[in-house]
Amino acid sequence: MSTDPSKESQSSSPPEEMSQPPGIWVGSLRDLVERVVGSAPLKYLVNWSRLYSLWPVHLTTACCSAEFGAMMGPRYDPERYGMQAVVGSMRQSDLLIIEGTVTKKMLKRIKVIWEQMPNPKYAIAMGDCACSGGLFHDSYSIINDIEKAIPIDIYVPGCPPRPEALLNGIIKLREKIRREEVYPK
Amino acid sequence: MSATPSSPEQDIVVAIKEQLGSAVENVTALDKGRISVIARKEVARDVAVLLQRFGLDHTLAVSGVDHPWENHLDVVYFLSSYSHDNLKHVVVLLKIHLERENPSLPSLTPIWESANLFERETYEMFGVNFEGHPNLQKLLLQDNWDGPPPLKKDLKIPELA
Amino acid sequence: MRIKLKTDGDIIVEATPDIGYVHRGCEKIAESRNIIKNIPMLERPNIADSSHLNWSYIAPIEKLQRVEVPERGLHIRTMLCEINRIASHLYGMAIMGGIFSGHTTMYMFGFGDRELLLDLHEMLTGARMTFSFFVPGGVRRDLPKGFVEKLAQTLDYIERHLSAIDRVFVSNPLFVERARGVGILSKDDAIKLGVVGPVLRASGVACDVRRDAPYGVYDRVDFEVPSFKEGDSLSRWLVRFEEMKQSISILRQLMRDIPKGPIARKSPLIVPRGEAIGRVESSRGEINHYVVGDGGDKPFRVKMSTGSFKNLAALPFLLKGVRIGDMPIIYGSLDYWPVEADR
Repeated sequence: MSTDPSKESQSSSPPEEMSQPPGIWVGSLRDLVERVVGSAPLKYLVNWSRLYSLWPVHLTTACCSAEFGAMMGPRYDPERYGMQAVVGSMRQSDLLIIEGTVTKKMLKRIKVIWEQMPNPKYAIAMGDCACSGGLFHDSYSIINDIEKAIPIDIYVPGCPPRPEALLNGIIKLREKIRREEVYPK
Repeated sequence: MSATPSSPEQDIVVAIKEQLGSAVENVTALDKGRISVIARKEVARDVAVLLQRFGLDHTLAVSGVDHPWENHLDVVYFLSSYSHDNLKHVVVLLKIHLERENPSLPSLTPIWESANLFERETYEMFGVNFEGHPNLQKLLLQDNWDGPPPLKKDLKIPELA
Repeated sequence: MRIKLKTDGDIIVEATPDIGYVHRGCEKIAESRNIIKNIPMLERPNIADSSHLNWSYIAPIEKLQRVEVPERGLHIRTMLCEINRIASHLYGMAIMGGIFSGHTTMYMFGFGDRELLLDLHEMLTGARMTFSFFVPGGVRRDLPKGFVEKLAQTLDYIERHLSAIDRVFVSNPLFVERARGVGILSKDDAIKLGVVGPVLRASGVACDVRRDAPYGVYDRVDFEVPSFKEGDSLSRWLVRFEEMKQSISILRQLMRDIPKGPIARKSPLIVPRGEAIGRVESSRGEINHYVVGDGGDKPFRVKMSTGSFKNLAALPFLLKGVRIGDMPIIYGSLDYWPVEADR
């Protein structure tokens, strides 16, 4: 690959790979932003800001919500991780915690909520019932596998999982966010 | 442990028999504080009015029980009282036998308003049509449920090993 | 659960509740599992108050099997139920006074104190909320060493903190003005609609299954059944507040003389032919279980009738004619638990 800047600007091929140091570069503004923000050090700054302010949607699906409520309480204090639960609308939140059994009647509404949340958004399946059906796996009215409807990032098993287990799941989600690409292909 | 001849339950059984007369088939004391009244479908409303006058002012529950091998479906009303002190500890079961195909029964909601939601649930789970119910619609199942009424023994779910 | 409102400006004209979002078919599943395997499943509908659901399911089975629980077993059962009642009332008051009126203070008070009671649960049964502790014939484990002392310390702390909640919240005009006179349920309407629990007692009907049809050791302890005449949301909140104080007094009486002896009797693993009913007063109202047996090890039919489902009849009635701003307070004062109503 020649490094002559004049030859690069005359060609109409797509911009060079990230490994090339940018000299004169031709492309759209959006590609420029993605290239600059999506590489170090800005990538780590953006991911840091996302993982330190995960706001959960207040979706109480079934009995695991009692342990979610306990986690939001003073003993386990998720506010030190940036999770502020008193948000009214799902358009201002980025974490959907599906707590408990998902029934067929509820699945439609969960999909609507998921679609209303703006990107980037993450989902945690909390409890045995959300992971694989749990105690009620042979019921006539529940869904055993939510992965078909919503992409799940973290599974937290337990019936119900202790608040410490849920916090562990959230910490693993933060590690995942720290490593992810800012603009996934 | 059936009630002895002079227990409070027997007094209530005697009093109910006096009140209802010949409208019922069977009034027995099952256990301490539990009395069973079996009535035919045609006289269910009259029996209910008489039981309400006796002092039973609310329903604890309404349930169906499916007996496919004996070929009948029962609807059971569980009644108790808040206002009469001697009836507060008693539960009266009002049982009505119905046929399994297209069961239907005059609704007892005009007499006991507390039976409203329970009758809706029994309609949905067993397919019992309550004639005269103000709002007989689905309550708990999903909107596009197309199978048989779930709690009848026709719907089988796999048994655990 | 979803509430569909038809409004005329700011006033609600009609309210229709739409439930069933957590209907998991507990009654159908119960017919296909044996009676012991049903215990964890049937106590999940109300996870914050699971010991009452457990007792109400076990009681009719014990009646059919003709098994009598020994004294010590009944005593331990009653103690666990009363600790569970205080924890559940703290949850309900935290949600109503906290989330639905817009303050987070009561939420933090309620959940912080609840954690101490959950520690007691864990010490006795091994689990924070879902104990599966009662079996037909008795209870599964005996009281551990040091439990009674820790219970006494916790009760002293909760009693002191209740007086703090009284000063900060109950006498606080910000909360009182929102809840007084809102959502009034008269005595005749309460009896007609068949409501149960604190909703009933706040409307002037002092009925409580622990007093009218005693089970466990409730006939040997002294307690009052608090009731108010006004029937508004503030009285429903205050009934729960007073009930917590009564539960603390019951626990102190029970701690004094715990009988010695076995904690359980052997019971067969079948449900004999017949039918029986269990009646138990939980924190949200009366729970009934109707069990029909056919001689096998699986129940033929289990019908659950829970407090929240019975109180649902009051919701459309109370919401007619009020402003939209009053709706969260009325809904919170009924302490409706959707999972329990849908089963």
